[in-house]
Amino acid sequence: MDTIRINKKEYTVAVDKEMPLLWFLRDHIGLTGTKYGCGVAQCGACVVHLDGEAVRSCVTKMKRVIGKEVVTIEGLSEKGDHPLQLAWKDVDVPQCGYCHAGQIMSAAVLLRERPDPTDEDIDDAMTGNICRCGTYTRIREAIHQASAMQKNGSR
Amino acid sequence: MKRFSTKNRGRLGHYAQRYRFSITMTILAILLIGIVSAFSNDSTHRVGTAAAIEVKKDSLKSLAAFKTVYAVLQSPRCLNCHPSGDIPLQGDDNRLHAMFPKRGPEGKGMLTMKCANCHQSENTAGLKTPPGSADWHLPPANMKMVFEGRTAHELAKQLIDPKQNGNKDLKALIAHADDGLVKWGWDPGEGRTLPPFTHAEFKEAWITWLTTGAYAPGK
Amino acid sequence: MNADKITLDRRSFLKAALLAGGGMMLQFNWPEVMAMDLENNAAEDAVALNSYIKIHLDGRVTLFNPNPEFGQNVKTSLPMILAEELDVDWEQVEVEQADFFPERFERQFTGGSQAIRRAWPILRKAGATARQMLILAAAQQWAVPVAEISTSEGVLHHQKSNRKLRYGEVASAAASIAVPQEVKLKDVADFKIIGSSKRNVEMDNIITGKPLFTSDYKKEGMLIAMIIHPQAFGQEITAITDTAVRQMPGIKDVFVIETLPKDYKKNSFDVMSFEKLAVIVGNSTWEVMQAKKKLVLELHANKGGPRAGLLESTAGHHAEMEQQAKLPGQVKRRDGDPETAFKNASRIIERTYTAPFLVHNTMEPVSCFADVTADAAELYAPIQAPEFITRTLSARLGLPKEKIKINLARMGGGFGLRAYGHHLVEAAVISQKIKAPVKLIYTREDEATYGIYRPTYSATFRAALDENNQLTGFHAKVGGIPESPLHENRFPAGAIDNYLAESWSVGSAITIGAFRAPGSNFIAGAEQSFLDELALEMKKDPIDFRLELLKRAKERPVGDKNDYDADRYAGVIRLLRDKAQLAKKPVGTGRGVAAYYCHNTYAAALVDIGVKNNEPYVRQAIAAMDCGIVVNKDAAVNMAEGAMVDGIGNALYGEQFFIDGIPQKNNFNSYRMIRMNEAPEHLEVYFVDNEENPTGMGEPLFPPMFGAVANALYRQTGKRYYHQPYLKQYLAENKPATGKRA
Repeated sequence: MDTIRINKKEYTVAVDKEMPLLWFLRDHIGLTGTKYGCGVAQCGACVVHLDGEAVRSCVTKMKRVIGKEVVTIEGLSEKGDHPLQLAWKDVDVPQCGYCHAGQIMSAAVLLRERPDPTDEDIDDAMTGNICRCGTYTRIREAIHQASAMQKNGSR
Repeated sequence: MKRFSTKNRGRLGHYAQRYRFSITMTILAILLIGIVSAFSNDSTHRVGTAAAIEVKKDSLKSLAAFKTVYAVLQSPRCLNCHPSGDIPLQGDDNRLHAMFPKRGPEGKGMLTMKCANCHQSENTAGLKTPPGSADWHLPPANMKMVFEGRTAHELAKQLIDPKQNGNKDLKALIAHADDGLVKWGWDPGEGRTLPPFTHAEFKEAWITWLTTGAYAPGK
Repeated sequence: MNADKITLDRRSFLKAALLAGGGMMLQFNWPEVMAMDLENNAAEDAVALNSYIKIHLDGRVTLFNPNPEFGQNVKTSLPMILAEELDVDWEQVEVEQADFFPERFERQFTGGSQAIRRAWPILRKAGATARQMLILAAAQQWAVPVAEISTSEGVLHHQKSNRKLRYGEVASAAASIAVPQEVKLKDVADFKIIGSSKRNVEMDNIITGKPLFTSDYKKEGMLIAMIIHPQAFGQEITAITDTAVRQMPGIKDVFVIETLPKDYKKNSFDVMSFEKLAVIVGNSTWEVMQAKKKLVLELHANKGGPRAGLLESTAGHHAEMEQQAKLPGQVKRRDGDPETAFKNASRIIERTYTAPFLVHNTMEPVSCFADVTADAAELYAPIQAPEFITRTLSARLGLPKEKIKINLARMGGGFGLRAYGHHLVEAAVISQKIKAPVKLIYTREDEATYGIYRPTYSATFRAALDENNQLTGFHAKVGGIPESPLHENRFPAGAIDNYLAESWSVGSAITIGAFRAPGSNFIAGAEQSFLDELALEMKKDPIDFRLELLKRAKERPVGDKNDYDADRYAGVIRLLRDKAQLAKKPVGTGRGVAAYYCHNTYAAALVDIGVKNNEPYVRQAIAAMDCGIVVNKDAAVNMAEGAMVDGIGNALYGEQFFIDGIPQKNNFNSYRMIRMNEAPEHLEVYFVDNEENPTGMGEPLFPPMFGAVANALYRQTGKRYYHQPYLKQYLAENKPATGKRA
């Protein structure tokens, strides 16, 4: 049987392997935190971690995911206390809130690879995630803050 | 096909028959026209031990073949991933890739925007969706192999300069014509124009150019 | 909410009741947040009170919020007003989001930046009344004079006897006290909660990915539906070929629906770009998406309406706009003798500005859940104006209004688009037809090509200067397809003796709708660019020039219909100028300024524009606003920042265009949106500190951004930018080093 691990839980995959992961998450196993925004890998609302990389689940077919490890916003932290989630709260980032699961999942990969990111690093990592409400400067601030929290050992 | 096979050599047969120079003579000729660096080491133009690549200097043939090569390399399908900056281009109009993903040290993107995060091992269905191929990438940061904005003269020089072409020898250069990502250019997915020549025509011209002296057109 | 429906005279504004299990409920009427004359929207003589405050025994306070939420944070800001007057600890306040019940709410509308403005006096009075009743109850219990009792953070205090009671302890007693007719409101100086910053109450759910949006909603037995609309505006479906589709996995049904009853008279929120739609219903989103690609539509291009039989193109629109600029328009305002002023002018400066159709591009594409049975309908939907669509639903479904329940979902962005409820009707009609609960989902492409766009606009301004280089006449000829953005009584009307404002519009099959600050979002940029250029032609500082005009408008206003307060307008400009002097202009940038008044709020903006990646890049933006008292400071700053970023993005990149009626941009791969690397490095927002009642916040800063960007581009490049999106002109004049960039 084809299986994948999502948020540390094993799932058997009995669906069309050409279907993008996004719809498996949303329609088949009820993990709706990952959003549909464009379907063509342009907006970043659907970003999840596939073996640690910030893939866009709207174009990532199930056949690529079989046997791999997926983390979604629901599994980023046990108690919603990832430094990014705490910083997002502290900076009061969201407006409508729709894009932020994708924003946070992207930022998590950034912080893993650049624990102390510069503004340019943030540009390079976050330009793939559209926020229609325009909260970009707050996202930037929250990422810097999460970086500082991470450094100070709060996680 | 990763190797310069006998089948490919067969296609070049008519050149080989008409210009029977010894390999040594060819090397000497290349030395004389000053683009020696690509082919100066005897081992670089041999495939295995049996089949040697014959290089027969012919500036007319070489330059004619390069016209085809250049037209293909300047087509959006090739040029877009050989940009002059660190951001790939996209579309038939060579615009900057949306969301400005950067090359990264290995040419595979960086951070959250690694090429493979969006570009699958195959084209995604639909218009203006991410094209794909195994190992989708740009030339690495230390060897950018820029096509964008290069004149035919500049590009010809650059292609055979090991310092600029990833230390590719004649064999590796020829093999590159059959690289999966190069061949993607002829299967680019919905809505993307093909290069102006077929892959077979390109490959033949590429090999001809390389094996007739890799002459660079005038400035 | 389980309170019994209480019918009473509308003037009886407040009514108290004992909560089941103890505690007090104070019911009151939530304001009519949008006054609008709509037929069939008869003013009821008696209505149920539509909102309430509950004070529970344990001291918790619940506020019922009927306003739809789409990111503007009313779900947080409105309760703050209440908590302030009630004098409770903010942490004790809980917010319940209302669903839409037409029999309870006359109007539930989010839009026009009016939520806070309309709710302000009523919420204050409700909060103060509840507080006063608690004081009265405590006074009775303690047998002390009312005046000796003070409150603080949910606690009643009698200082003389040093006795304290928590609100919850007297709430039940307070419920039986007669509602006082008059109560004293707090002094603005004593505000503790209003003007502070309170976090979005949905924060935890947003950052952990909890289901909040319609698209996340699921019900047992629910099917997925998608629509297929004609490619081009002006086309209509005549038939579909669905044989292949019906055999695909997971597909349940394929059919064509009509969304409106025959001869239905639409109101302005009934925008239906395509009234006839093909529908595919299936088990899952992916299966329906696949099936969609196989469905073949037969279309004809003679739908009727404006330009029947013609399919419009942007090139044609441009030609029409040029022609209209030369023809006489409809005169909307005339002061003095503008014709003579222009005849006698020593110099006339004339400039034309244009802007394209815009797509809202809310991050959440349309979705709507509907479960329609024989005698009732339940919907779950993102909608800014639920009441307007209920009439349509009722007529189309054949159900009485009171049998239609609309649950209001959090909206993944609105920007005006979600004022239109076509998706509710579509989902309901589909559910009724297939006799099952259904979730309608649009793809991004469906939504981007559906219409309800910001119109395309053109404005020609002329200024008459006399031999002393003084402004003697002003002429605005402004129009659009299919709607004009002219606001003839706004600045600079009132500041110029000889003034003429003309308007025109040309019909179109392309549907339009409200878009963040409708009309203003174009005319502000055009007018503010023109004033900037005019000032330099007159050898004046552009800011001084505006202040001079405002001084004139204040001291000797021309006409009596001027729709702005010249003092407050000048005030934001001065505040911005002060802040601008403190903010160093980054090296290599050009600085532009603009100001505007709309939605009862004054806004001024400054941008410093440089170059990044060979494209114009706003490095720094500063805003000054006068929106009266700011309720939730940080939320207001957030929204202002968003409006700046939105304005910069749309000014530089925003555009939809058409060939043969077909919208050419259908997703973010062709429709460019502003992104992180294009957002300013630095944003500052300042508010004029006054005690005016609060006014609009979401929209007013958006319009002047277009002018500020154009004016900054002029300083940066030496070229004036007349046509949006500005990036096109920039790239035509500044060849990039890499990437040709269309």
